Amino acid sequence: MDLVIRNGNIVDGSGLPSYLGDIAINDGRIVRVGNVADTGTTEIDARGKIVSPGFIDPHTHFDAQLLWDGAAKPAIEHGVTTIVPGNCSLSLAPLKADHRMKLVGMFNQIEEMPFKAFEEGVVWDWETFEEFVTRIKKDLTINVAPLVGHSVLRLWVMGNESMHRTATAQETQAMQALLKECLDAGAIGLSTSFIDMDETLQPVPSRYADAAELDALCAVLGQHNRILQAVHEFYDNDITVARIDQLADISRKHKITTTLSPLFVNNDNFAGVDQAIARVVEQNEAGARVWPQVQTRPIDISFTFSVPSLLFIRLRTWYAVMRFGTPETIMAAFRDEAQRKQLVAEASNMMGLWQRLILRQVKTEANQQYVGKNLAEIAELRGTDALNVMIDLSLEEDLDAHFLSADMGHNNDEKVGSLLRHPHVMIGASDGGAHILSFSTYGDTGYLFSRFVRDNHSMSIEEAVKKITSDTADIWAIADRGLLKSGYIADVTIFDADLIDRGPEYYVQDVPGDGHRYVRDSVGVETVIIGGAVAYTQQGGYTDERRGEIVGGRP
Amino acid sequence: MNTVRKSIFPSAQDTWASIAARELDSTNTEESIANLQSWNLHVFARPPAPADSPRAGNPILPSDILFIEPPLA
Repeated sequence: MDLVIRNGNIVDGSGLPSYLGDIAINDGRIVRVGNVADTGTTEIDARGKIVSPGFIDPHTHFDAQLLWDGAAKPAIEHGVTTIVPGNCSLSLAPLKADHRMKLVGMFNQIEEMPFKAFEEGVVWDWETFEEFVTRIKKDLTINVAPLVGHSVLRLWVMGNESMHRTATAQETQAMQALLKECLDAGAIGLSTSFIDMDETLQPVPSRYADAAELDALCAVLGQHNRILQAVHEFYDNDITVARIDQLADISRKHKITTTLSPLFVNNDNFAGVDQAIARVVEQNEAGARVWPQVQTRPIDISFTFSVPSLLFIRLRTWYAVMRFGTPETIMAAFRDEAQRKQLVAEASNMMGLWQRLILRQVKTEANQQYVGKNLAEIAELRGTDALNVMIDLSLEEDLDAHFLSADMGHNNDEKVGSLLRHPHVMIGASDGGAHILSFSTYGDTGYLFSRFVRDNHSMSIEEAVKKITSDTADIWAIADRGLLKSGYIADVTIFDADLIDRGPEYYVQDVPGDGHRYVRDSVGVETVIIGGAVAYTQQGGYTDERRGEIVGGRP
Repeated sequence: MNTVRKSIFPSAQDTWASIAARELDSTNTEESIANLQSWNLHVFARPPAPADSPRAGNPILPSDILFIEPPLA
């Protein structure tokens, strides 16, 4: 045997009770689960640890990162062995050379991936989906089940017209052919967006598609048994229910699985999420396959004024200053009496939010005394109000003052826990690799076990593992993964049930072009095996193994 | 199925006026349009398209969902 894991507490992904046993792996696949008499070239003693299938993260935006980091760090160290990039209508292929900067702009606006990261981290040596897949396969540690984005299909076929109008019948046919080509090259499905804006604050191309165009593309998905992912107007419950109905109709008509994300718990309106889930159940009992994705972590947003922040997206003057400004013009706006007055006036009715903001990081010695305090406290010390203190600190720090808005919602453990456990809910929506300057999108799986299994007993460890392994594989039609079973591909995560967690969030410079992002280290994940090879150990870090594969859907 | 709020998918050329005329049972056009806009603030409050855009002045997108009745009680 190449590898034998001994004496582990096996949680096999099926939801059945755990049991003590061994796992034998040969040629990248599991060959025996139970008592293994054979010895392995490599042996791992998992005594006292959980041995589970590798976790599957169904909603990520690691597309760009995969071009310079085939491990999608730090996803693997959190136990994730398969990721789904290309969500929300945005993938990096198919993409004609003329449209590269347009797509970079959209990625920058929607996913906060810096322009410089693309300039310095990306060699643009592909156009088609097949070429892109070939490109990332060269250095892949993690498994990738890539979606193809509706907006990029439109951009390829319609060019700039994709940002202005519906498609002609001929263009729709061309998109259908292109989608088929992408699915044949390994795309696991199609993603679309009903909500996102591009870098000019105009709707992304997929939002100019009418229902007939989406229906035509879903007909192709139906022929290939592939999934449709949609990001919807999650802030409005009535629209969410209407989108559930729309996806249900598509699902029944074309016999495809659909998923919408994200679905949040609004602390002021539990009835909203209850109504959405009730509708999902009704539609699924009527023959549809609609899977809302729910994230485990509460909503936190960090920001500086040097980059546009989601927190300001509904404050038009603020957002325009951040989106279209340079550091110099932003600081000039803050210093200019008239502009500052206008900004303060626009945001003053949200004073409660500004008062709760925590100053998390500054660069000057003088302001270190305020780090960890909220803006209400700092404002009192300085004899002003929270909004003005936020502006003053930003000026004093040359915009390098970091603020944290914590616990903005989705943080009622009892409600979120019941939702995560719901049989019609998929655990997902981590957004891994996106919003890198607003919050850490890594560690949601550790948080699932620490918060909802260990602390709050919302579900058993077997249920939690099933939710993020075999359930996800089934929904996405991912073959031979998600279970510890003879014949399955050996993607395995070994962790300590008493310790597994997400570590604290911190700011790190590890993005090409001297870029930064917020990340979290893992806690309690001991070993991660991908395709039968050890990809990560807690003691030794990442190995040189490159067994990641492109994971297409089951035919 | 439980009753949910009635909605439509607009056609590519739809405007507030064309939807109001087609979907709402009223002879008062201005009132119908105002109702439609108030039921669909997610579209009505959208930043306007640039003046040189083919949809300048019309915030409705073909992928939108538009409600044609007020929120259910």
